[in-house]
Amino acid sequence: MSTKEQRERIELLQGTLDLLILRTLRLGHAHGHAIAKTIESNSDEVLQVEQGSLYPALHRLIKRGWISVEEGTSENNRRAKFYGLTPKGKRQLTLETRKWDKLAGAIARILRPTKQESGS
Amino acid sequence: MKRKRMMEALEEDIRHHLERETRDNIERGMSPEDARYAAMRKFGNITHVKEETRAVWSVVWLDQLLADVRFGLRMLRKNPGFTAVAVLTLALGIGANAAVFSVVYAVLLRPLPYKESSSLIVLNETTPMVGTVSVSYPNFLDWRNQSRTFLEMAAVRGVGFNLAGVTQPENISGDAVSPTFLSMLGVRPFLGRDFEASEEKAGTPPVILLSYSLWQSHFAGDPNIVGRTIKLDDRSFTIVGVLPPNYRSLDKTDVMLPIGVWARDNSEDAKERGARGDLVVIGRLARGVSLTKARAEMEGIAARLATEYPSSNDRFGVALQPIRDAFVSNIRPAILVLFGAVMFVLLIACANVANLFLVRGASRSKEVALRIALGANRSRIISQMLTESFVLAVLGGVLGLALAVAGIGGMSRLIPADILSGSTVNLNGAVLLFAAGAVTLAAFIFGLAPALQLTKPDVQSELKEGGRGASVGAGQNRLRAALATAEISLALILLVGAGLMMKSLYRLLAVDPGFRPDRVLTMGMNLRTQQYSKDPAVLNFWQQVLDKVRVLPGVEAAAVGTVVPLTGSHSRQDITVEGMALPTPGNYPHPDVHIISPGFAETLGVSLLRGRTFTEADDEKALLVGMINAMTAKRFFPNEDPIGKRFMFGHPSAKNAPKWCTVVGVVSDTKLYGLANPARLEVYAPLRQNATSEMTLLVKSGADPAALASAIREAVQSIDKDQPLFAISTMKELVSNSVSTRRMTLVLLGLFSGLALVLGAIGIYGVISYSVAQRTHEIGIRMALGAPRRDVFRLVVGQGLKLAGIGIAIGIAGALGLARLMSSLLYGISATDFETFAGVSILLALVAGLACYIPAQRAMRVDPTVALRYE
Repeated sequence: MSTKEQRERIELLQGTLDLLILRTLRLGHAHGHAIAKTIESNSDEVLQVEQGSLYPALHRLIKRGWISVEEGTSENNRRAKFYGLTPKGKRQLTLETRKWDKLAGAIARILRPTKQESGS
Repeated sequence: MKRKRMMEALEEDIRHHLERETRDNIERGMSPEDARYAAMRKFGNITHVKEETRAVWSVVWLDQLLADVRFGLRMLRKNPGFTAVAVLTLALGIGANAAVFSVVYAVLLRPLPYKESSSLIVLNETTPMVGTVSVSYPNFLDWRNQSRTFLEMAAVRGVGFNLAGVTQPENISGDAVSPTFLSMLGVRPFLGRDFEASEEKAGTPPVILLSYSLWQSHFAGDPNIVGRTIKLDDRSFTIVGVLPPNYRSLDKTDVMLPIGVWARDNSEDAKERGARGDLVVIGRLARGVSLTKARAEMEGIAARLATEYPSSNDRFGVALQPIRDAFVSNIRPAILVLFGAVMFVLLIACANVANLFLVRGASRSKEVALRIALGANRSRIISQMLTESFVLAVLGGVLGLALAVAGIGGMSRLIPADILSGSTVNLNGAVLLFAAGAVTLAAFIFGLAPALQLTKPDVQSELKEGGRGASVGAGQNRLRAALATAEISLALILLVGAGLMMKSLYRLLAVDPGFRPDRVLTMGMNLRTQQYSKDPAVLNFWQQVLDKVRVLPGVEAAAVGTVVPLTGSHSRQDITVEGMALPTPGNYPHPDVHIISPGFAETLGVSLLRGRTFTEADDEKALLVGMINAMTAKRFFPNEDPIGKRFMFGHPSAKNAPKWCTVVGVVSDTKLYGLANPARLEVYAPLRQNATSEMTLLVKSGADPAALASAIREAVQSIDKDQPLFAISTMKELVSNSVSTRRMTLVLLGLFSGLALVLGAIGIYGVISYSVAQRTHEIGIRMALGAPRRDVFRLVVGQGLKLAGIGIAIGIAGALGLARLMSSLLYGISATDFETFAGVSILLALVAGLACYIPAQRAMRVDPTVALRYE
């Protein structure tokens, strides 16, 4: 990785990672590595997750009861931990997404007032 | 548990993740080694990830607590002066509490080593003539037969033996008991067997149980002891067992034997209903029976026996008390007073530390207010401050326990051994638990008020005041003043208690005991062996002892006698005065009886008021004579000369001709029952006319009487090498021991109130000097406007004395209420003694004034220009 490449990438905001994980898991169960890859590729590699930081976040979500973990076999027949959304997690995702939209909208209006006004 | 499982899962995840990433990198064309490094780089700091995950699964409050503790320790390290003073103050308070509690536990709380001890009752007989007295064996047998409220009853008769044939002959004591005694208590012998029912009958073969300590000291803990014999008073006893090491009884128990053995040796005592000698009954209440119900039944039984056997039982009742009370005896009030006092000391210490916290908090109040303004949780800040208090209290507690260990050592020497009755004062689990409780309580007491005060919600005023600089909130000053006032009140109550005790002890020691205790040595002897079974042998022995001891160098006078004052051993008998109207059997005069050799009154320093004392001529062939004390003379011969009047021992009977004793002398009353107790009727009879085998040898010496002990022992053993001497003590010691409970109370109460006085003075000093510092600006203005220095001085001292005055007033009110609780410990003064209250108040006012003097001096020296520029 070159330094240039790094500069173009955006560090994640605190708490945003949780939302991204929940969103990723809505597509189905996945193991840790896959979640990291999905987040990276879905954001066109703009969002750089330091892969390790994924795991404390996963454990935080387990503790809150938003995701569950179970043993499974990965595509190359290796044993791995698979994470999935719980019903509580699904509700939380809806909630968080709505909150995020509001926040993003509000920030966008502040940063680009004219563009937003003309857009609406 | 869960955390461990989750952390294992994490390890597995990380391994899996890195493998996948490495493989992906290899697929992109990296070398395996590069691929591995790239994966690790991309993953980030593995340790950090693990830490963070662990934090997710750790208990939040515990982590917070640890953080608070670390913060507290840091704060305490930053203020070493504050910390040292606070910890030391708390250590004194907690240490004193732990030490006193160890005594409370040993005496009042330690469980007795018996099965269900709450249903065990001690029974005695009572007579209005004396109070509580021993039980006669026939009465016990009737009680046991007739009672339904008691499941079981057992007689416990004190016995003594001469143990000879060892290095030094000694006197050992023990109990002759009903065979069911041990099983009733739930005590099983450590070795061997319990007594059997058949061993209640008089004439059963002599068997004996040894105490654990006697087994250890005299038989080296021989495991094959059962079946061996021990020789006591010329007789062989078969050892059938050993008592357990934790066996406790009301008296010293070296040996235990079945009452049948005693009954054979003392057949008259065992059959005579009027013989009440050192026998106590212990009973176990039937299930669900209350003490009141048992008492009612026993009183009924006693009344029936009094009617049936008036000559021995007229006016004799029965007294019941729980066995715990019998162990505690009359020490409870003293111990509770001390316990209360020491709690006051802790409260004062807490008030002082709270004050320190407030002073230090003043410098932190801005920080706290700012944190609250910025949205910090108030309860979070309070819990942080309380944690800091707790850390401080724990430090104080640890140091306090160290002080307590030292204190327990000192106190054990102060505590009269007999009040412990076999218990020991030590630092045990109960004491540690109590200390932990005291630490927690203290932390809340001194931590909560400052924490609430410093975090009080009106942030704005705090910030504004803080903004102006020097001063803190008025609320804080009020709280600090209140704390100092409370300290003064508590200190006053303690000082009043100590003052009352001191005056009582002073009055008590000034009481004329009726004898001169100086330079008198007492030694007990009991002639029990066969060679003394005939009167002439007994008399010869005593005569030889006196002849030998009187010529020892340093001996001024020597005599033998029974019933030495203040020893707790008594001998009383009914008498009939010639010519008196004969009362019912329970109403005969019942004086203490002394059997004495010539020279007794002179040796003990009992003054002769009329007539003469006994001489060698008052022997078995001469006229029967007696002496009486002043009280007896006044009672029976109020307006006449008692010399030449006659009395006899016992009641007149038709069968025997009366044996009249002619009064030849009147002597002063002696305080046989303690200095605080009134004198009783006493009569004296000469030894030669009343041969007695158990006597006390009294020796008056020219110098230190204790130094004579070994020479006297040699003299006695040159007559009979197997004769032990016991209970060796000077009369001074006996007097001193008789007031030992009061002295212990006084010393400790004095110590605690001194501590309270110092802490209270520090409290006032702290408040006043802090207030002077706060008011430097104001004082400067006053002086700039022309106020004389002595007005400033008066202002400051006046402020301090006002606090002290309020504290003293509250303290007097409290002391008036509380001192009554110790009235049973007082002698010769009332619990509201004016002099004591006035003296203590003046003392406290003086100390408070002194505590204000230094800050007032400082205030006087304030330089107006400096004070104003300071602003």
